[in-house]
Amino acid sequence: MPNETTAGVASPPALTWVRFLRNYGPLSTNGNLFDEHVAKALARAKVRPISLPPPRLAEMEAFFTDGIGGSILVAGTAGDGKTYHCRSLWERLGGASATWAGGVPLKRLPFRGREVVFVKDLSELGETEGDEVLEGLERSAAGDDSVSFVVAANHGQILDRLRTRGRRLGMDSPLRDPIQSAFLDPGSSYPRLGVFDLSRGADRRAMESVIAAVADHPEWERCAGCPLDSADRRCPISENRARMLGREDGGLFVRRLGDIVELSRLNGEHLPVRDLLALAANALLGHPAAREGLMTCADVAGIQHRGDADRASVYRNVFGVNLTKKSLSKYPVFRTLSSFGVGEETANGIDGLLVYGSDDSRLSEAFGRLVASDPLYGASAGFLAAQRRYLEGEEGARDGDGDDSFRDRLSDQRRRLFFTLPGDAGESYPFWGLTSFAHAGEYLALVEAVENRRSVDEKTRSAAVRGLNRVMTGLLLENADKIFVSGGGGASGSRVGSLCETEIPARRTGGVGMAIRADSKTGKPCLDVCVAPGSQPVLLDLTPVRFEFLCRVASGALPGSFSNECLEDLLAFKARLLRQAEAARATPEPEGGEPAEGDGTLGLSFIEINDRDGQGAVRRVSVRVGA
Amino acid sequence: MSRERVEEVDFAVDEHIWGHRLYDEQLPHLALLEFLGILRAKSTAPLRQDADGRVRYRPSWQITLRALLFNNPNLDAIRLRRDADADKWKAWEESFKKDAGDLAVGGLGHLRETFLSFEDFAKAVALLRSSAYEANSNKRWSSKFVFPYGPDALYEDIRVKADGSASNDRRFFGRTGELLYLMLCRSSRAAELGPLLVSRLFNPTTPLNRLARAMQGQTQPAPNERTSGYLPHTSLPRFDRLAEDWLAILSRDMPAGDAVDHLVVSAGLNLLLYFLERGKAAAGDTDPVEFLCEVVSRDRSKVRALSADSWQSNQAVSLRAVRAFVESAKAAPEWGAALVAADPSAACAGVLRDLFQWPPEEKEIGTAPERLVSLLAEAAEKRHGQHFGKIHSIWSRAVGLSSRRLSRRMRYAPNDRLLKTLVVTVVEGRMEYGEFLREIHRRYGIVVGEAEGSALVRENVVDQEDLSNNRARLESRLLGLGLLRRLSDACSFVENPFWRGAA
Repeated sequence: MPNETTAGVASPPALTWVRFLRNYGPLSTNGNLFDEHVAKALARAKVRPISLPPPRLAEMEAFFTDGIGGSILVAGTAGDGKTYHCRSLWERLGGASATWAGGVPLKRLPFRGREVVFVKDLSELGETEGDEVLEGLERSAAGDDSVSFVVAANHGQILDRLRTRGRRLGMDSPLRDPIQSAFLDPGSSYPRLGVFDLSRGADRRAMESVIAAVADHPEWERCAGCPLDSADRRCPISENRARMLGREDGGLFVRRLGDIVELSRLNGEHLPVRDLLALAANALLGHPAAREGLMTCADVAGIQHRGDADRASVYRNVFGVNLTKKSLSKYPVFRTLSSFGVGEETANGIDGLLVYGSDDSRLSEAFGRLVASDPLYGASAGFLAAQRRYLEGEEGARDGDGDDSFRDRLSDQRRRLFFTLPGDAGESYPFWGLTSFAHAGEYLALVEAVENRRSVDEKTRSAAVRGLNRVMTGLLLENADKIFVSGGGGASGSRVGSLCETEIPARRTGGVGMAIRADSKTGKPCLDVCVAPGSQPVLLDLTPVRFEFLCRVASGALPGSFSNECLEDLLAFKARLLRQAEAARATPEPEGGEPAEGDGTLGLSFIEINDRDGQGAVRRVSVRVGA
Repeated sequence: MSRERVEEVDFAVDEHIWGHRLYDEQLPHLALLEFLGILRAKSTAPLRQDADGRVRYRPSWQITLRALLFNNPNLDAIRLRRDADADKWKAWEESFKKDAGDLAVGGLGHLRETFLSFEDFAKAVALLRSSAYEANSNKRWSSKFVFPYGPDALYEDIRVKADGSASNDRRFFGRTGELLYLMLCRSSRAAELGPLLVSRLFNPTTPLNRLARAMQGQTQPAPNERTSGYLPHTSLPRFDRLAEDWLAILSRDMPAGDAVDHLVVSAGLNLLLYFLERGKAAAGDTDPVEFLCEVVSRDRSKVRALSADSWQSNQAVSLRAVRAFVESAKAAPEWGAALVAADPSAACAGVLRDLFQWPPEEKEIGTAPERLVSLLAEAAEKRHGQHFGKIHSIWSRAVGLSSRRLSRRMRYAPNDRLLKTLVVTVVEGRMEYGEFLREIHRRYGIVVGEAEGSALVRENVVDQEDLSNNRARLESRLLGLGLLRRLSDACSFVENPFWRGAA
């Protein structure tokens, strides 16, 4: 009997629901992640759907009901919800669900005296049909109101189609530039072509609504009275769900996860909704011993029997620790999350706590509060046993055999602490120190400040400035109030640059200096540097990676893993600043300024560093070079 | 069929395939410096060759300047003394004259006029040294070069003998720069490129050029004129490519010093391609030159092994070319005629002499024609191995195309500097990533992704997945370098931060 479990419990009440949910996870056959299949699966499982509001639907509808006419392009990565948006719009404009379910790729809907043609996936069309759609799109955008289109396509696909068609016809499509700009410059728009780029939506809010839709789903009511989660038995699925709902930690888990999603977005990574769903399902159901790494209710009794529920920890599952390398690599979301290095990165205080906490009297209070308080995923019996073996110097305890090494367990504990350490846990327990973005806390505060047009915290600004100065000059400068735009006279790629072209204030004053602000188009933070009055500002997106690099350079360390590329990246910024300085030098001083140096004298500004306080200052050397 | 005579060689084989000469030890930056020296001498009529396909020019020596920078060991010690300024100058002049001898013409008096203090002078020397090429290497001082800030900072490689006399030798300026100059003279864009190079790189008013001029004092030209080496080809698509790449680099919105750096890499890459393309042509191999590149990853992949194979097969091209080129003599109509002449041995020797300047008169008399060819081929192969045969290996590394990182075998694995130059050169504003890969394949034979390596996939040499992972790794690397913007998994754009008009 498939419904009988090893412990002899009859079919758990939520089994079909959990199986349905499991199909959203990172499995080799995860049908539910495709809008096309989900309806059938719902009917089979007889459960209510996981419903996420299509975030751009209202705007899309308004485009047709209130707009000036024209067509819509729905763009995004696989899994962004393009089909879902199209289907919802179809229904909203009066289309029948049954017609949509029919297999034809082109669907026509009469709407207010014209026809709206829906193409739910441009890649399903052959060359001829595809050309017809593109032609129709061009006509509609140019003013023809007899037929409108709603076309869904991946970014690459639509650009590729337009390009190859352009090549065939020997002329570029008039839509190619506007579409490309709409993708790359979020501010741009084109009156009769609404470009809805769904890939831009995956932020903290999207993640929160996915978690809520999954963890707070009404079908969970079936769990009530389940024997696997009553009396002394704790069901890991139900435990994970409770932690995701955040009823005990005040939503801390979701907040930290949201931070990671935000940082990823600002780093230019993109997390499709489909991936977020897979993430949520995996966080709930992951266990390395289950089939394909994802539990159903049928696995729970066995896990309880073996006593390895701690390996179902939601804190592990979020990073896909339960999955094989291969399935990890298939989902951008797990690739992205693993780039934070949670589990591998650590801070001394935290490792000290985890290793010696239960023995050392100075640590025992903190250990009790931060670790032992959670007997399921924190100080579980398995962890305490491994810790004891390690401290007693048992051979092989550190690296262990198979899955049960103390080192792996330490990684799990660090993952847990990342999500559970309170923000005010003190300097010894910095939760961002458990990631490769140790300065992410300051960064997120900076993002919030620039988004709300507040000024950036002085300590943060000063770290960024010190980092910049060190990249510019190759000297260990401490100056935080000004920026030395400097080089070595040769290529700016050379690491030393003791020749100062110009010094500018670290805060924009009188049109000169550096401003940290939100980019007017993307809303993301950027450095905006003006080297001279009236010269062209040089912009640099201040991504988490760049910020982290600058902060680490400012504190004297060159981070290993991403340092080289990041340094090259910032050296290009330096070159652009130097170029502006070069240009400014070529323009004569405005009236009232100091007269330009005569032909016979050359002024060179050397940056000299004071050994005592690390402050750099410019020393001018005059050289008589003759005419 | 008689060929142009090449001086200074026992026989001319490599020289007729590639020219006289490409020189392995002349790394790309040294080729550019030699090139710039010619351009400086020709700046009023740049990139124009003489009627005989050569160029005649008088380089500079600037011995005072280079001695101040690279043969001035006591400067710092004297600077640190607690002596009066005048005493420092005096002590330094004495010590300097002992080292530098009388080569510095016109004395050193101008230095005290130029600098307000000895300290300032020492700082200026340190500044110019800091950006010099190989300032701290153990090369002889007369082969060290200051960064080409402008016309006054250029000079040729020389040898200074123990008796203090100097002469040019071909240790590091082995004529590769001369060939580079001739290639650009023969490109279809020479008329545009010449004046642009001069205006962009030889602005005499840039501060550090003025400083170099002030330190040198009176300009020191070389005592006599040089005649360039010999370049066999009157025009080639590669020459045009090189010129177009340079025009693109010079039009970017970047400091002149950075442009120089990109010109070095671009010159090196195109010269390397020239070397391999001519080699293939001489060997009768019509396949285009390709570099299968591994984008370095920690995990060992099939692509790593293949990129090493690709390196190996390109490394073998030039030697094959030498033998094929010598043996091609046997296909010449003159050879057929010589075989039936009264004295075939002497007649065939004559044919070879016309073609390859070998054998010398009176030598190899009576040797059978077949034997003559194989003697020459052997000698040519042996000589090829000494320098020409190392070009691919040394230059591909110098431009950052090949490396041994994480591997024992040499393979193609481009470094960040090369990637930057490729983006700066190829991308006007922004370019779709796939198009970028197509373009670097079309221009330079660089293979990264599955589309460009489709032949390999078809032949089952490599899985499509390996190449598409390789392609994805380059994408991430460009992202890290700030040269790429990703729209979604399947779509990203390479961006040139130095595009004119970029904010």
